[in-house]
This record gives sequence, structure tokens and C-alpha cells, in this order.
Amino acid sequence: MEFSHYAPLWGEALLTVLAVLVVLLGSLMKNSGKLMGYLSAAGLVAALGLVASNLTLKPALFFFDTISVDALSQFFKVVFLIVSLLVVIASLSKYTGKGADEYYALLLFATVGMMVVSSSIDIVTLFVGFELASLSTYALAAFDKSKKNLEAAMKYFIFGSVASAFMLFGFSLLYGMVGSTRLADIAAASLANFGPATLVALLFVIVGFGFKMALVPFHMWAPDTYEGSPALVSALLAAGSKKMGFVAAFRVIIIALIALRMEWYMAFAILSALTMTLGNLAACWQNNVRRILAYSSIAQAGYIAIGFVVVGAAFGAEPVNVLNLGLVPADQLGIAGALLLILGHALMKTGAFIGTAQVSSMVSSASETDPDDISNYAGLAKRAPITAFCMLIFMFALAGIPPTAGYIGKFVLFSSAIYSGLAWLAIIAILNSALSLVYYLRIISYMYLKEPAGPKIAEQKGYMVALVLTLVAVVWIGVFPDAFINWAIQAAAVLLP
Amino acid sequence: MIANALSWMIAIPLLGALVCFFAGGKAKFVALVASIIPLALSVQMYTEFDKTSKIMQFVESYNWVPSIGVKYTVGVDGIGFPLVLLSTIVSVLVIIYSWGETKKPNQYFALLLLNEVGVLGVFTALDFFLFYIFWEVVLIPMFFLIGSWGGPRKDYAAIKFFIYTHVASLVMLLAIFALYFTYQTPEGTRTFDMLTLLAATADKTIFPTSMLNIIFAGLLLGFLVKMPAFPFHTWLPDAHVEAPTAGSVVLAALLLKMGGYGLFRVIMPMLPSVDKAFVTIIAIVAVISIVYGAFMALAQKDIKKLVAYSSVSHMGFVTLGAVAFTWMSVTGAMFQQFSHGIITCVLFMSAGTIQHVVGTRVIADLGGLADRMPKFAVLMMAGFMASLGLPGMSGFVAEFMVLTGSYATLPSYTMFVVFLSVASTAAYHLWAMQKAMFGPILKKYINVHDAHSYELFSMAMIIVLSLLFGIQPGLITDIMGTAATQVMGPVVTLSQMGVI
Repeated sequence: MEFSHYAPLWGEALLTVLAVLVVLLGSLMKNSGKLMGYLSAAGLVAALGLVASNLTLKPALFFFDTISVDALSQFFKVVFLIVSLLVVIASLSKYTGKGADEYYALLLFATVGMMVVSSSIDIVTLFVGFELASLSTYALAAFDKSKKNLEAAMKYFIFGSVASAFMLFGFSLLYGMVGSTRLADIAAASLANFGPATLVALLFVIVGFGFKMALVPFHMWAPDTYEGSPALVSALLAAGSKKMGFVAAFRVIIIALIALRMEWYMAFAILSALTMTLGNLAACWQNNVRRILAYSSIAQAGYIAIGFVVVGAAFGAEPVNVLNLGLVPADQLGIAGALLLILGHALMKTGAFIGTAQVSSMVSSASETDPDDISNYAGLAKRAPITAFCMLIFMFALAGIPPTAGYIGKFVLFSSAIYSGLAWLAIIAILNSALSLVYYLRIISYMYLKEPAGPKIAEQKGYMVALVLTLVAVVWIGVFPDAFINWAIQAAAVLLP
Repeated sequence: MIANALSWMIAIPLLGALVCFFAGGKAKFVALVASIIPLALSVQMYTEFDKTSKIMQFVESYNWVPSIGVKYTVGVDGIGFPLVLLSTIVSVLVIIYSWGETKKPNQYFALLLLNEVGVLGVFTALDFFLFYIFWEVVLIPMFFLIGSWGGPRKDYAAIKFFIYTHVASLVMLLAIFALYFTYQTPEGTRTFDMLTLLAATADKTIFPTSMLNIIFAGLLLGFLVKMPAFPFHTWLPDAHVEAPTAGSVVLAALLLKMGGYGLFRVIMPMLPSVDKAFVTIIAIVAVISIVYGAFMALAQKDIKKLVAYSSVSHMGFVTLGAVAFTWMSVTGAMFQQFSHGIITCVLFMSAGTIQHVVGTRVIADLGGLADRMPKFAVLMMAGFMASLGLPGMSGFVAEFMVLTGSYATLPSYTMFVVFLSVASTAAYHLWAMQKAMFGPILKKYINVHDAHSYELFSMAMIIVLSLLFGIQPGLITDIMGTAATQVMGPVVTLSQMGVI
């Protein structure tokens, strides 16, 4: 076996080695936090380069057919790497002192875990990757060791463990029935013949993934965790770890359990409509900006879940002329739309949470009250003009106002719903987008219309670089979406026969 | 002719807005230059504009997002061009009027320029996607103008304005999507091209009447809210009362015209294909807007709110003229858009000047200001006369044409308007004018001074324009007349014209 045979996996290998190195060097050197941060950023850039140089379209299988490097995995790896990179860049302003090396190591391990999940075509491998990412983020969520942190992390840990248990139980049923852990084998077996046990397994799997994707009614942990964790970790959770839930669910539910599509189609139709509506409604009543963002990300998960509904409704449909993309089946378009929204949402949410990190970093020392309270955003446009402007664009993008990344994802996704005869779902989703503007506008009006809550503050370099980079990406995808649409469609093809 | 004139016209204020933002105290000069160039371009275009041609002129078209069929296509015809001219004129005058703005002038002028970008885009875009983007772009600067420079209830007014009109735009967007997803070009592709989609709505095999009715209702709602027509007008008085003067001027003179433009561009070509009940509904909405607006104006204590309700009333004439569907009424309705666009500037400028000279706009607290503000009083008087429809000024010509034209097809509605609104319109204008400006001067106002010269200049220019178009309406109605013939016939698409 040649070393170069594994070239498509060098990215993961590099990050794993780097993570171990960061732990070792960190324990040997004193005050190496900043250096470790730069090292991690460089490693992530290199890994991004390795992944991007290999956006292979022909799936390559590794390790006894448990890992598949294909367009879908590469799409998600790019998303995860970009999110981690942005978080690391922002962290350079915060985590520089003692113990920072552990922070970066955990972050790298989490990234590796997410990358493994995106490539897994075997339920055991998938579970291992899932746990690697989850355990690292449990630790990260408590990293500042404040009381709030610990509460958030505890909640996240308990809910996460329960979700894992559900998932694992579902997997064990699948293994018991099929005798194989490969997704392809499970798909073949359940297509040939499925009984009540398969349905039970499906139920457990949906509940397990539902927690990770934060679909209503499995969402309760998300607002508390996103509020209580360090803001930059919240960015990683909302933009990275949550998307890992989606890729895992895509692989397991769409590939392995396609035989039960009529069952999960109904389940996801209800979950999706509930999630977006309740997420948006709940966000309207929050006063903590991070809670608003948490509920908004729940609502976005509801939109993304439309992808499942479309696949369920239109699976195996004849390709039709969709948009101007030529002949594309509606189910493929649905997944492509979900992918675009995942990409867009990952960027917008990372940006928004980094913005909250910037704000809380400047008020927490001054005030006793909740640093993320919306009143701290009053007059932000004057106190921190660049942060406020970036937040403004992220809010509009999250609301889906063109031309931004948020818009194009919603457009393709909702179009696919229309093409597969789910106009009612598309209309609910569009009305929800209108509703979401209420709370985004509330943040904007605090930032731009209220009198400043304090003096002008120095915006920190790391945060600024991360914010501006995210802003450029969000606008770029919105203005020149063509290449991204085509890429997402190719990635979507992986999931369908 | 200048290549890509329309794109330059949109790009220059956009660039100007960016420069303004960083120009600090010098922003007003930047803004003036960045608004005069588009004015010069539009005047130049006016001289080159073929008034007898029914097809799109100055068309530019580039692929933008080919995978979903979005193009950057701009062009003007007799419907859009007068409004382009109006936007460039009003933008310059409103910037001159705001010369004395001292609160964050850089942002203020940048937002005014952004507003110009948005409305010019709306009036020239020939691609629904582009149209929608510009339609939304307009909301953002206006939201900040109201929210940052507004009166005591500015937050409430800004958010109400944004959400109210944004929800209506979303309904419009749904209707646009319905058009987009239903129609396929002969090559099997999707397109957002406005003219192609509108031409297709006439085809009953693609758009059955039952479906077209729903689409039509969605689009209509989007435009009527923007106009605004009764019962969707409630955002307007709040937005106007709280907005700074320049914001009110732009809102009334340009933003409301977007709704009217939508009527001509989108609604009228579809009107022959939809249920006839819509004609009745729109006519009733128009008549109620005219009459109700006039009566509400009569009841207002705040002079600015009075002017706001007069806008509701005057914009009702646009709706009435459009739905009456005769050549005369449609031309008149287009002219009413233009004419109300300039006249309303002077009314809001008057209200603004009174506010900052005297400190109140409550009509009952005013009195005899003409004594200390003679020049201002003359201009305000002229503006109010133009607004109530004094012959010789543009408002008279427009409303006369609408009423004459509408009488042919909608006689009973027209009579209703004539009997109920003409007298009350004259009444509220004259009463407000008389109470605020004439009579013995109140003691507390003995020390007030006349308006600033830049304010007087802007107002005077508008009076001149109103007189000019009142005496010689042919200058612009020639263009509108051709457009009226064209909107009442089938839509000519760009490919049929051979433009693209």
C-alpha cells in the first residue's frame, strides 16, 4: 500500500498530527498559546488546501470501505474547515494565555471528528467520528470555566449523551437485522425486506440525529448551550457540529434507510414545519442576542430539513428541467439546496457569533449584567462600526435578503420543494422568513438606532479579520452563486442512486 | 449617446454613497455632485429619447446568474423614463434642501444617495429578480433615515415601515416565483425576464385564469401597499410624521411611485387576462383612497400628517386612472405620478421648514407666519395651490385627465370622486394654509426668520417645474401617451424587439 494512495485523507491526517503536536508542545513550552493558535490556523489552511485540491467527483473508498471521499464529503469538509479556521482566527484575540494550547487541540480534534463523519459510510466509523467531535466540543463548551459555562456544558453533555445513546441503539438494531455495519448493505437489506424493527431503528436514529440537528422538539439544549458556552465555541457548535448532524443524517437516513422513505418523509415534513415556526416564534421573545441566534439557528435547521422532505417526496422522480440547470431530478435539487443553505448558514452563524464574542468581550469587564443582553448592542454602530456593519449584513443574510449567501440557499431549496409538489411547505418557509425579520430587525435597530450604551471601544484584530473574511464570503456567494450551485448539485448526486 | 447610460446612472450615486460615508463634513458636496451627474445623464437621455417608439430604449443586458436565469437587464420606455427623470430631479433638490443638516451628515447624504440608487433601479430593471433586489434595497436606507433622524416615535415608525412593506414585498415575491416556476421558454429554460413573463400571462394555456388571479392578487397587494392605497395605508402616516424632512420627501415623491410604476409595468398588462371583478375591486380601492384620504387630511391637526393623507388621496388618482383603462385616463395617471412626485416635495419641505423655524407643526398653534416669512409663504402657497389642483399647474392637468378619461368606463365611480373629494381637497389645503400662514402674527413668532436660501431654492425650482409642466404638459405627456397606448396593447418582449 503506497503512501500516496491515501492522498485524499492527508487533510485529516495533518490535523490529527497537528492536534497531538499542539498538546505536546503546549505542555513543554510556557505561554505558547498564541503560537499554538497560529500553528492551528496554518494547519487548517493547509488542510483546506488539501481538501480543496481534491474536490473529487468519483468516490474513492478507504479502510475496508468504511470511508468514502466523494463530492459530498469534500463539500462538508470545506464547510467544517472554513468554520474552524474562522473560529481559530477569532480566538487569536481571546485564547492566548495559559491553557490555550488545549483549546486549540480540542478544536482541531473536533474538526477531525466532523471530517471523519462527513466521509463515513459505515455506522461504526460514523459513530466514532461523531463521538470524537462531540467529546471535544463538550470540553470546549466549558472552557472558560465560569458557572454559566459549566451549566451549558453539562446540559450539552447530558443531552448529547442521550442522543448518542438513542443513535447507538438504533444502529445496534440495524446491525442486528442486517449483520453488517456498511450503509450500502443496510440499504440493500432494508430495500429487500423491512419489518417493524427497522421502523423502531429509524425512530431511534431520527431522535438521535434530531438532537444534534436541534430540530423541535429535540432542541431544548441548544439555546442554553449557545448562550452559556464561550461565544466562539457557540459558533463552532452552531455552524460546525450541527452541520455534522446533518451530514450524518443525510448518509444514514437517505442512503441506508431509503426503503422507509414514506415513513421518514412524513416525520420530516412535520418536524421541519414545526421547527422553523417554533424557532422563529421563540426568537421573537428573547432578549439575549445569543439566544436569539440560537433560536434562529433552530429555525434554519427547519429550513434545511426541507431537503429530507423533498427527497422523500420526489425520490426516483424523472429528471426535469429545473431552473436553468438542465435535467436535474427534484430530489437532487432538494439536497443541493440544503447543502447551499448549510454552507451559507455556517458562514453567517459563525460571523454572527464572532460578532457577539466581540461585543461581550468589551462589556463583560464593565458590567455585572448579562454581557449578551440586547441592551449592550445599543448604538453598536457608533461604538464598534465594523462589527456592527458585519452583523448588519449577517442579519440581512440570515433573513434571506438578496444578494447574500442566505438568499441563494433558500431560493434553491424552496424551488426544489415547489418542483416536488410541496408548495405548501415552501409557502410556510417563505412566510417564516418574513417572520424572522422581526427579531433580526430588532437587533439591527438596537445597533443602529439606539443611543450608544457606552464609549467607543477598540475592536480586536482577530475578531475583525474573521468578521471581514466571513462578510466577504457571504456576499461573494450571494453575488456569484453559479459555481456554488453547480458544486452543491454534484455533491448531492452522491446520496442518490 | 453615452454608452451604458442607465448603469452609470445607478452606479454613480452608489459610488457617491460610499465616498460620502467617508467624507465627513464634505459629504454634502460629494452628494451634490453624485446626484447632479445622474440628472445630467437623464436630461441628456430625454433629448435622445424617441417619444414615438413603443419599445424599450437604452437597453443593457448581461448574464448574471445563468443557472437560475437571472440577468442584469435594464432599460426604459415611456412608463419608466418619466419616473427616472423625476427621481434624478427630486434627488438633487432634496440634497440641496438638506444642505444645513448637521447630525451625522456623511451618513445622511449617503443614505439619500442609496435611496436614489434603489428607486432608479426599480424604474429601470427589466428582470424580476433585479427588480426585487432594488425594491428591497430602497427599504434599507429609508429604515435608517426614519430610525436615526426621525421624531420621538422613530423606532416604532421605522420598524412598522420596514415590516409592513417587507411583508407586502414577500407576497409580491411569491407571485413572482409563481410566474417564474410556471413559465418555460420555448427552449425549456426558466427566466426572470419581466417582459417575457408578462407577455406569457396573456396565454391561457400556460396561465389558466384561476391561477393567474392568485398571482395577480399577490402582485397587486405588493404594489397597493407601497402606493399606499386604503386599507393598506396605515404605515404611511406614521412613517411620514416621524421621518426627517428629506426622508418624507423621498418617501412621498419617489417610494410611493414605485407602487404606481408596478401598476403600469406589471398589473396593467395582466389586467385583460384576469377576472373582471378585479377592476371593480381596484376601482373601489381607488375611490375610497381618494375620498378617505381627503377627509382624513381634513381632520388632521399636524400639518405633516395632513400632507401625508393628501398623498394617499392623490395616489388614488393613479390607481383610478390605471384601472379605468382608457388612453386618456392612463396617460393622466402616469402624469399624476410625475406631478404628485414634484408637488409633494414642496408640501413636505414646507412642513419641515415650519417645524424647524417655529418648533411645532400643529396647525392650531400656528398663525400669521407669512408676516415674518414672506418668501417662504409665497412658495408654500404656490405648492398648496398646485396640490389642490389649480389650473395652470401640473396637478390640475393630471387629475383632469384622469377624471375625464375614467368617466368613459367608470362613470359612477368618477362622479363619486368628483362630488366627494374636490371640495374637501380644496378645503383642507386652504384651511391649513390660512390658519398657519395668514392672519395676524402670533406674539410668540415675532422673532422667526424666513427659510434658508437653499430651502427656498429647492421649493422654487419645484414650483417652476410644476408651472412648466402645467402649462406645457406635452413635454412629458407625449412620452406617457405612447406608453399608455403600449400598456393597453400586448407586451412586446425584448427578443421581439431584437434588442437581445
